[in-house]
Amino acid sequence: MTVPARRFGFVRLGGAVSLATLLAAGAAAMPAVDGDIEAGRRKAGACAACHGRDGHSLIPTVPSLAAQPALYTYYQLIQFQTGRRRSPEMAPFVADLSDQDMQDLSAYYAAQPAVAAPTSEPADPVKMEAGERLVSRYHCNACHLPTLGGQKHIPRLAGQQEEYLRRQLRAFKQQKAADLDGSMTMAAQPLTEEAIEALAHYLARVGPRAGGPGGQR
Amino acid sequence: MNRATRTGLVILTLALATVATATAQQAPPPWAQGRPPELATSPLAPHPQPPAPTPAEKIPVDRIKLPPGFKAELWASGINNARAMTWGDRGTLFVSSRVAGNVYAVVDHGGRREVKTILKGLQMPNGVAFKDGTLYVAEVSRITKYEGIEANLDSPPAAKVVIDTLPKDLPHGWKYLAFGPDGKLYFNIGAPCNICLPPETHANIVRINADGSGFEYVARGVRNSVGLAFHPVTRDLYFTNHARDWLGDDVPEDTLHHVVKPGAHFGYPYCHQGDILDPDFGAGRACSEFNPPLLKLGPHVAANGIHFYTGAMFPPQYRHRMFIAQRGSWNRAQKSGFRVVTVEYRPGQPPKHEVFAEGWLQGDQFWGRPVYLQEMKDGSLLISDDYAGAIYRITYGR
Repeated sequence: MTVPARRFGFVRLGGAVSLATLLAAGAAAMPAVDGDIEAGRRKAGACAACHGRDGHSLIPTVPSLAAQPALYTYYQLIQFQTGRRRSPEMAPFVADLSDQDMQDLSAYYAAQPAVAAPTSEPADPVKMEAGERLVSRYHCNACHLPTLGGQKHIPRLAGQQEEYLRRQLRAFKQQKAADLDGSMTMAAQPLTEEAIEALAHYLARVGPRAGGPGGQR
Repeated sequence: MNRATRTGLVILTLALATVATATAQQAPPPWAQGRPPELATSPLAPHPQPPAPTPAEKIPVDRIKLPPGFKAELWASGINNARAMTWGDRGTLFVSSRVAGNVYAVVDHGGRREVKTILKGLQMPNGVAFKDGTLYVAEVSRITKYEGIEANLDSPPAAKVVIDTLPKDLPHGWKYLAFGPDGKLYFNIGAPCNICLPPETHANIVRINADGSGFEYVARGVRNSVGLAFHPVTRDLYFTNHARDWLGDDVPEDTLHHVVKPGAHFGYPYCHQGDILDPDFGAGRACSEFNPPLLKLGPHVAANGIHFYTGAMFPPQYRHRMFIAQRGSWNRAQKSGFRVVTVEYRPGQPPKHEVFAEGWLQGDQFWGRPVYLQEMKDGSLLISDDYAGAIYRITYGR
């Protein structure tokens, strides 16, 4: 027997299944982050000093948390607390968070609209074109989605702080960044310093878009 | 292994590493490789591994559904990414992990169990086996041993290399490790991809002597087997195999295989589940060229650990039955697996396949993933869960 065509249920159904249904199915498949957005808003006061109002960072080395997939923020907080992601800046803030605190904060930030972080210099057309090409060449969209808005445990890149992106890419390349399953460390190995520069430049300036399937609660 | 074979293996390993480096710049993530362009926006992707184990009080062990008379209890928790289990001579349970990079020891203090992290920072140390006071650990490209470890759990001895010339590829690079009745170490070298024509060094099950010599292929054309076991009476080798992704919701099925002739070819990448030719690699081939599976276990179920029950606690019909843990699907619209099944097989008769334990999947949400099995001295059965980071104990009440 040969397989005449790939047979996925939702492909076969074709027009009968709307995109919204597919996205909903993706979201339902998520490991649940059971956070309370309003409780998260109340608990986020101390975070705002660095991560900005509603998670829109104004500090180049500090990431924006707004519109990050809830599972991403939740897993990062766990990694900060267990010491797997090391940060002297974050350590005192996560030390006493309960599991519910982390889920509430993650839910709150996931519910904030994506806003592009401010950039220090205007878009450079050469770097923008190179960045777009590199995103495609290195298949960033396979996990971060074509919107680069992230999903599940994978962060939104579009509109993130440029210097933060640059530092994270370098850390993954140096195999020093906290990595849940090794995917990003592996992905960053072929990147040259020029490629990192172009990617950070492009990703910081590409229009921030809401998360994909499962990216939002 | 003779010098020529060893040299050949090293050269092939280096050659593959070179190829991998040259092509890495264009390669999609391993799980997306082989995905047809029309599915580029599919929401299906592997499930993330939580960064920490689920706290004991949040593990809903009462949701595990078993046949009448059987009971499940939470035996140990807090074991991040708990995978394969093997017993030490003095009653220590050694537990591996994959992405956590740790090996654990669970010590029973008369009903209270202590979990110690004894090894850290290893490269996907999924394989653990124990013999004559020594723990053997399989990482991606090497197998190491730790002598006299059970008396030194708080200060483990230095690793001694058994073999360190295995391929370095990370996709399907993690290994299941077990001693055969012949005293040799058996393990898998998975295909370095979802679907590709792998070099001779990959997509197989191999065995070596406990000192690292005598490298030998036991089964070929095996995409990735992360569960194998030997029949307690016939001593024959049986193994599970994960089938390729992105061919559809219902095909191909994961499979259970019986190795009758060492070195036989089981079909990958040409033929899947014994009767489906691969759309990309099957042209000009026939499934009849390859050894068929003993049983199809279901599409995308992720058939992992396999264990022949030899205890006296379970009812007599379970004696010598195979228990198989199915970690659960990601590459399927409606989830499958997330359960433990049993297979009864007597040569000459068709195998009988039934569900034994389920409930980790509730609707479309899962809270745990059963991955490996081990028997206790009293005949109860341990099931590890790499998602919740826990071990359950199944008993039968008389």
